[in-house]
Amino acid sequence: MMSDKMKQDPRLPDETFEPFEESRRIPLPVYWIAIALAIWGVIMLVETSHSTQVADKERAAQNAQDVTATAPVTAEPAAAQGHALFTANCATCHGDLGAGSTGAVPPLAKSDLVQAGGAEAVVRIALRGIDGPIAVNGVTYNGHMPNFASALDDKQLAAISSHVATSFAGAKDGIEPTKVAELRKADAGKDPWAGGAELASAITGLPAQPARPAPAPAMAATQSADVETLVKTGAGYIWACASCHGDKGQGMETTPRLAGLPAAYIAKQLHDFQQGTRFNDSMAYVAKALSEEQIQALAAHYAVMRAPSTARPSLKGDLARGEQIAREGDWSIGVPACFTCHGPSGFGVAPDFPALAAQHPAYTARQLAMWAGGSRHNSPLGLMAGIGKALNDVDRRAVADYLASLAPVPATPKTELAAIDASIPVSEGDAQ
Amino acid sequence: MTRKHPSDLPQPGADKPSRGQTTVRVILAVGGGLALVVLGSLVVDFGLAPSWLTGQKAARSTAAADGEGEKAKLFTPPDESAIPDDEFGQSVRRGMAIFLDTGTNAHDFVGNDLSCSNCHLDAGRQAYSAPMWAAYPVYPKYRSKNKMVNTMEDRIKGCFTYSMNAQASPSGGPPPYGSDVYRDLQAYFFWMSKGLPTGEKPEGAGFGKIDKPEKEPSRERGEAVFAANCAVCHGADGQGQKDINGKVVFPPLWGPRSYNWGAGMHKVDAAAAFIKHNMPLSQPGKLSTQEAWDVAAFVDSHPRPKDPRQVGDITVEDGLKKWHHSHDGFYGQTIDGVLLGTGFPQESQAAAPAAGDNSGG
Repeated sequence: MMSDKMKQDPRLPDETFEPFEESRRIPLPVYWIAIALAIWGVIMLVETSHSTQVADKERAAQNAQDVTATAPVTAEPAAAQGHALFTANCATCHGDLGAGSTGAVPPLAKSDLVQAGGAEAVVRIALRGIDGPIAVNGVTYNGHMPNFASALDDKQLAAISSHVATSFAGAKDGIEPTKVAELRKADAGKDPWAGGAELASAITGLPAQPARPAPAPAMAATQSADVETLVKTGAGYIWACASCHGDKGQGMETTPRLAGLPAAYIAKQLHDFQQGTRFNDSMAYVAKALSEEQIQALAAHYAVMRAPSTARPSLKGDLARGEQIAREGDWSIGVPACFTCHGPSGFGVAPDFPALAAQHPAYTARQLAMWAGGSRHNSPLGLMAGIGKALNDVDRRAVADYLASLAPVPATPKTELAAIDASIPVSEGDAQ
Repeated sequence: MTRKHPSDLPQPGADKPSRGQTTVRVILAVGGGLALVVLGSLVVDFGLAPSWLTGQKAARSTAAADGEGEKAKLFTPPDESAIPDDEFGQSVRRGMAIFLDTGTNAHDFVGNDLSCSNCHLDAGRQAYSAPMWAAYPVYPKYRSKNKMVNTMEDRIKGCFTYSMNAQASPSGGPPPYGSDVYRDLQAYFFWMSKGLPTGEKPEGAGFGKIDKPEKEPSRERGEAVFAANCAVCHGADGQGQKDINGKVVFPPLWGPRSYNWGAGMHKVDAAAAFIKHNMPLSQPGKLSTQEAWDVAAFVDSHPRPKDPRQVGDITVEDGLKKWHHSHDGFYGQTIDGVLLGTGFPQESQAAAPAAGDNSGG
């Protein structure tokens, strides 16, 4: 037995030994957890697929509703529809009860003008809007009404006008959508009614109307070749404003509509782009190339523009929720109504509060998200940061879609631009 | 010494549990797994799970916690959509319309550019901006201001007389007793207060409490606070702003078209409490207590329409002794060379859009 092994120190481990693990049972708790996780996984899968199905069903129902809402013939009683449309589109200025607003907006309820002209007069006013003095019940209003031709279709206009004429002014008959279509064709592309006088010349039997005002003097700045060139063809290495914002300042998608925004607001944004307090690479590039005169001229150019709305609700927002946020606010989340500051119907209040009506929903929702995230931070007092943060994504889409459904702002009247351009708008007596 | 070589070891399968043991283990494992699931879901259901584990529930409970404790106690008035579709509901809606655009819907009795909802925010629903649901259940009550028991109608009449400056209105005074204006407004308040006990002042009533300022309120500091925080809406001159149609969007805070020297808001402490809890709109609490007092002093030390009780040959000095000696205000003081409390000539008050003329005003 003279093997090498014998010489080895017996304390040393056997060299041939290889480590191994004895088979041990997996402890029961591991099985418990694994099985519990498996069961939980299955439950979640079933639940998720179930809620997806529910959501699909709801979406399908929603789509079906949308189809009925836009279908040429609707089962909904015209009166109820007219009331709902009135509330969403007209009550913002004329009041839920059609009482108007003293000193600013003529009443529709018991209005001698509506009584004399009937639903047809209402349609014709709504199709073109008003820019000039109009007398209702013996009181003259310096009317600036948007035109609804681009915001409402024939059926909607017929429903609203019939509602106004029958419920508020005691008319027996409303108006049919086919008649609205005829009127729309006849009035297509025309300027707003220059007050009650022009209206009275088109519709017989209206109560006495104030004389037509002298046309606003053409504004040198707006007409200047410089601005025209900037807007239409660009200058030097700056591209034309119209190439993104459209030839009527109507904008598209995330490029905002500019037509009818307060001049001071447009000028401030351009200054902010110049100074880097508002970020957008394209706009910073353009704004830095503009002179102060050009900025003021461009601001005036867009402020007096009346352009039809090209915005449509497109974010699948809940319009009723959007209307609630815009008109009443949601104070439970600390959000006052948009219209509290941006004016009834979202027409804007110069100089700091821009018009919201007919703005593209993608733009509005994106800006709200940017206020919330802090990448836009140039609002006075930081007011919009708080609002943006308080609204969640669903609310942002809802309110953006509702605002997109409104008629476009009836543009800053040219005669008032000078007054509004001043940094402190004292509106005492300058309205006429 | 036993030297074990792997090959010497019993094969792993050698001590494999018997069939019966395996079954027992499977049953134990599955049973334990099920028990864990049940236990887990119970824990989540009872809200015992730590917030970081359960995403949504955590968000909700922190949101509730952020709701500032006391807010949990606040009454929530019914939603507008809950206004019934009957005769009573129509009265409620008329009341709401008066509340929101008082100059239009109670035209004959309003002598300035204000509406109820300018100070009673969210159509009279917002806590700490004197919500109507907190006022309705505590009337009738005795008020030292007129030394009598006031019904809700008496109280609203006071609002028209002072805050709405009815002396400059087309009718020259507040709505007469029994007017539909009172009827509809009370219907609106009553509807809004549904479920609240009468005779108990609910949390959120009035403008809330405000601590005394550390330093005596200063008009000068207040002017700076105003320029930085208020002017963007109320205008650098405090005269508010209108839209292109001439509709008031931001109310004037002083001058001939604002509340008069008899209105509660002319008292600096009342204005300070309102401002502290509600202004700037959407940013309540932004101003410090001192800033709220300072800016309230600045706003309330400007000329405004005269106290309507000051008729005939009653002078400001008399008025000061009679009605203004016991509270915090600038009535009767001379600020920047102007004696406050004399009001404006009646013409300039009536000149604005009262009836026909709509040219802004």
